[in-house]
Amino acid sequence: MLRFFISFFSSLFQMMIHILTTKKHIIQNVLSIYIKTTGGNISIDIDPKCDVSHIKKMVAPQIGLQPEELKVIFAGKELGDDIIIEECDLGQQSILHVVKIKPGNVQSKISASSTPNSKTLMPLCESLDDLMFSASSGSRTASISIGNETSTSDSLLDEIEVVANNEKSKPKKVHFYVYCPTCKKLTQGKLRVRCHFCKSGAFTVHSDPQNWSHVLESKQITGTCENDSEFCENILQNKEPTFAEFYFKCSEHISLGENDQAVPLDLIRPNLRQLQCLACFEITETIFSFPCEDDHVTCLDCFEAYCKAKLSDRQFWQHPEYGYTLACPSGCANSFIKEIHHFRLLDDEHYERYHRFATEEFVLQSGGLLCPQPGCGMGILADPECIRITCQNCKYVFCRNCLQGYHIGSCDPPEIQETSGTSGDCGTELNCDNRNGAGDDASRTTIKVITKPCPSCKTPTERDGGCMHMVCTRAGCQFHWCWVCQTEWTRECMGDHWFG
Amino acid sequence: MAATRRLQKELGDIRNSGLKSFRDIQVDETNILTWQGLIVPDSPPYNRGAFKIEINFPAEYPFKPPKISFKTKIYHPNIDEKGQVCLPIISAENWKPATKTDQVIQALVALVNDPEPEHPLRADLAEEYLKDKKKFTKNAEEYTKKHSEKRPAD
Repeated sequence: MLRFFISFFSSLFQMMIHILTTKKHIIQNVLSIYIKTTGGNISIDIDPKCDVSHIKKMVAPQIGLQPEELKVIFAGKELGDDIIIEECDLGQQSILHVVKIKPGNVQSKISASSTPNSKTLMPLCESLDDLMFSASSGSRTASISIGNETSTSDSLLDEIEVVANNEKSKPKKVHFYVYCPTCKKLTQGKLRVRCHFCKSGAFTVHSDPQNWSHVLESKQITGTCENDSEFCENILQNKEPTFAEFYFKCSEHISLGENDQAVPLDLIRPNLRQLQCLACFEITETIFSFPCEDDHVTCLDCFEAYCKAKLSDRQFWQHPEYGYTLACPSGCANSFIKEIHHFRLLDDEHYERYHRFATEEFVLQSGGLLCPQPGCGMGILADPECIRITCQNCKYVFCRNCLQGYHIGSCDPPEIQETSGTSGDCGTELNCDNRNGAGDDASRTTIKVITKPCPSCKTPTERDGGCMHMVCTRAGCQFHWCWVCQTEWTRECMGDHWFG
Repeated sequence: MAATRRLQKELGDIRNSGLKSFRDIQVDETNILTWQGLIVPDSPPYNRGAFKIEINFPAEYPFKPPKISFKTKIYHPNIDEKGQVCLPIISAENWKPATKTDQVIQALVALVNDPEPEHPLRADLAEEYLKDKKKFTKNAEEYTKKHSEKRPAD
């Protein structure tokens, strides 16, 4: 009897363990995804180890079709029947598109354009590699996109060699970095594709994107909209092919739906060529690659340090197209950062400052003013003829020309006050930025006593030594002027009173 | 911090390179942003002595240039009485973060050896240098004997 009880309990115990472990097993291995069909959405739970044909078998009866009549589309590609789901970069709540194969044209197009090997039947995010996307300079990208072997540049060959040496097997899967507004940080992104016109994800590309401009610029890669191809083709009256639109999702949080997107930070890349950070000389895994011809890169820490240094001196540049941005730290030509979301890498405090400076700079460049009252700094766009300005925010009334309290008659002339000592670096100066509220009367007086306004932008400027040749350090001004004459620097100033 | 990592590397490299013209580099353990060292020129009239300099790196280094000042008095058109020197390679407009301190020092040594009276900090000395080179050399030599540091033995 006792033996019976023991064996009963032990078997019960084993059963419980079995149930617990299998339950755990199930939890770990179920992927809940959505299947989007023309008829609507179906939610299914699948084993990530199963293949695409299995999904077709699961979905077909629910929409009244045969598995052979279906194609499964994800990230710009029709998935091959034998592709295993876990190889496809699908996350929880991801959306697969299932459409009915249309007899004739579409099918023949696919089989004609490429011999179906496993790579072409993988989603784009899996089949692309870093090699192409790390090519940074315009000329090199161009040579790749031509795809002509004879035009391949030397540097590209170097790259291939490096990669081949590093990894004997196959090129690394492409790395995309994004700023995720949900995680509020830099994360790895997942490339997704949809129709440029109807925004449906049931879209297959005719060719793979070969570089960042194919992905970032619109209408670069053609494809077939499988959602309602006639509708999309009709938009263009069949004059142009339908185009793919690329976008990114964050890979770190469970998708919150189709609108949950992340901004691609295309200048952050894996350091395939083992480039050295130009600032700290270290070689890091991930780099910030400046859009300059010399391929200058920094590590991400130094990029942040660079932004902070430039921000504290208010040396960002208001670019007419890109916004408030920076160029390569080495001063290379045409190297401005186009995607200003890269500055999201700054911590909250500095990003907030970046944002404020950007707004202020925009107001100033649009011919506006900033309220000089301490703690206010409100942007004001007033009629250019209007001298008496009233701040709508703090009601301070001030003079447009001298930014002091409003007065009748001419503004006080700046006092001529020589600072002692006349040597040092040519044109060194310190700008006292008071456009943002200049503090109390005492500091106002001090600023008045020790500074002279830049003749061009009126920024109060202190001369801390050196010669009389001043160069305004304010980004966007950089006026050369004479400390003595308070006018533009001339040959006469140089001959007459260069050193005072 | 970018500045510290970079300066540790640079300091090690400079010490290992055995520069003849820049010696006795002293850096406070607690503050790598200030270096002191001895400039040892090899052209007359400055080859009779050595000159102590201080290099101050900003916290934002290498995104902002270092500043150099002479701690030893020197009779030179490009170095003023306060020891300030006008060196284009470290001016705000020309500075590049990839420029290494040893390049800066080499530029400084070159300037000491070979003054540039066209861009003077001391107009009086520049004028003397251009108009009466003999007198300038004599004055500079005497000044060097009187004020400069002893040259290292080797």
